[in-house]
Amino acid sequence: MNCPIETQEGSALLLAYSSRKLDPQAVALLDRHLESCSACRDFVAGQSAVWNALDLWEAAPVSADFDRRLYQRIEQQVSWWDMLIRPFRPVFDHAVPVAAAAGVVLMALVLLDRPSAVPVAVETHSAQVETLQPDQVEHALAEVEMLDQFNHLMRSEPADSHSKM
Amino acid sequence: MDERVNRDMGAAAAALDYDAELMLRVKDGDGASFGVLLDKHRSSVIHFLYRMIQNHAVAEELAQEVFLRVYRSRATYEPTAKFTTWLFRIATHLALNSLRDGKNERSQERLDDNPDDLPAKQVSDRRPSIEATMVYEARLEEVRKAIAVLPEKQRAAVLMHKYEEMEYSQIAKVLNCSESAVKSLLFRAYETLRARLAHMA
Repeated sequence: MNCPIETQEGSALLLAYSSRKLDPQAVALLDRHLESCSACRDFVAGQSAVWNALDLWEAAPVSADFDRRLYQRIEQQVSWWDMLIRPFRPVFDHAVPVAAAAGVVLMALVLLDRPSAVPVAVETHSAQVETLQPDQVEHALAEVEMLDQFNHLMRSEPADSHSKM
Repeated sequence: MDERVNRDMGAAAAALDYDAELMLRVKDGDGASFGVLLDKHRSSVIHFLYRMIQNHAVAEELAQEVFLRVYRSRATYEPTAKFTTWLFRIATHLALNSLRDGKNERSQERLDDNPDDLPAKQVSDRRPSIEATMVYEARLEEVRKAIAVLPEKQRAAVLMHKYEEMEYSQIAKVLNCSESAVKSLLFRAYETLRARLAHMA
């Protein structure tokens, strides 16, 4: 076996060996090499010391109110949508199907009226229909629904649920 | 056609990565799945950021921003990579920006991060002696300083390799570089750490 310390690939192998991430076959091969190579032995000893030293650094626990603060920030982002559509919500609930039906009728009328139809008028009507795209309303309603789910999660979650981490 | 291919690729990636599947559910409006993702990755993201920045309050603030960005991106999310790769790419980006923006003001406080300000750890029944505690604190301080002096990308690579147990290929994707560049970053970083910490064996 060529000395692994001489190449980048080999050094990566020694790093993996020191961090105990090698498969048993590769470990056995390296063990045999280490018996006769003091440079690699020093490398492995130093790297193992680093590995153990890094193990000392345990992470600090997470603040108990981390989730609450996060959901609050999400809520702030969502609430402007909510505020925007809330007054129109009952109207939207009923108006969307009506508007869609009106749009279809309007399109039908325009098509029937051809070729004497005035294109400008058609554009005006379709623009009105666009302002009430069901996708937009659905997106807004989904935002509000998700916010409700978060609120529910916040209420059901005990204050210290992740203080153990 | 393209859309179908993308969807198929997304489905394949999601099959390999449960987190990606959860994120797709968030995309479909399932708030509970966001909660599951938060539960699963909250600690690792905060700990990674804390070890990068070495300031607990800033690390938590950045972690909030990470999860906020995940939430905000749900509508456009496509599982083209592992979820944790995407998550740590956001975290690393924010950490590097924070280090660059506030390097001077934070370099003073980060190593003096007052342990009293940190959330309380659970107290073990077997309390170590004062001497043992002092030795531990001194060694820990050495480790923190050794990590802090590493160049930012080397630091990020070491933290992902050591504490998140990421493969070279995943670290490469997070740092947006080649695998051989990651090997080189890690080799140089561990060389520095060996010079500073080998005596702790």
